[in-house]
Amino acid sequence: MQLRIDLHSTSFEPLVALARWQEERQQSGISNNAAEAVFVGRVRGVAADRCELEALELEHYPGMTEQQLEQLALDCCQRHGVNSCLVQHRIGRVLPGEAIVLVAIGADRRGPAQRCCQELLEALKHDAPFWKREWRADGSSEWLTGNTPL
Amino acid sequence: MAAPCAQEIRILLFAGLREQAGWAEQQWPADPNGASTLTPRQLWSMLQLPGDLDRQVRVAINRQFADADTPLRPGDELAFLPPISGG
Repeated sequence: MQLRIDLHSTSFEPLVALARWQEERQQSGISNNAAEAVFVGRVRGVAADRCELEALELEHYPGMTEQQLEQLALDCCQRHGVNSCLVQHRIGRVLPGEAIVLVAIGADRRGPAQRCCQELLEALKHDAPFWKREWRADGSSEWLTGNTPL
Repeated sequence: MAAPCAQEIRILLFAGLREQAGWAEQQWPADPNGASTLTPRQLWSMLQLPGDLDRQVRVAINRQFADADTPLRPGDELAFLPPISGG
């Protein structure tokens, strides 16, 4: 199973990250996946209270976040029997419209690819130590205490 | 973050919990002989941290999720984690 996880402190372009992931697989001689599922999450332009959002701040627990992401990904990929996994996640200040997370799963069949992608996304939203703080246009801010509904 | 002293327990707070408490990190003396056990729940109470430990906070010991009643050892890194919101 091929696994790649990165935290980015500046903006990243999901399509570029996907292309690089494909190249790395080809260079290492790993055969192409017959099925790939991809999820890209971006920052909304409004805060939880519907006010205009200036930016989202993402805090993490250095060391534990990386370790937990890897464990969650390994467990999930093993359960679904998939071939490859890419997780890219932002930290720091993220602007509306920018990508905050990319999860891509490669497998032999669409079912495992899609199920693994969704399950891993939910797992990292709830069990990888990240915290979001919304900064509003008026300069006020608030830490979020949960995730948006599925 | 600095490495923990072998005779102390290093305590970390994050995000909103850190701001409510007014501090990010503390070292707490540990019994080097392990004669008296200290748990995250006891430290939460002794440090008078805000909120409900069981309902709002998760505990990590040495960067692994743990139960709040796990006995701590000298050199442990203990973190109190407010509600997680990744992705």
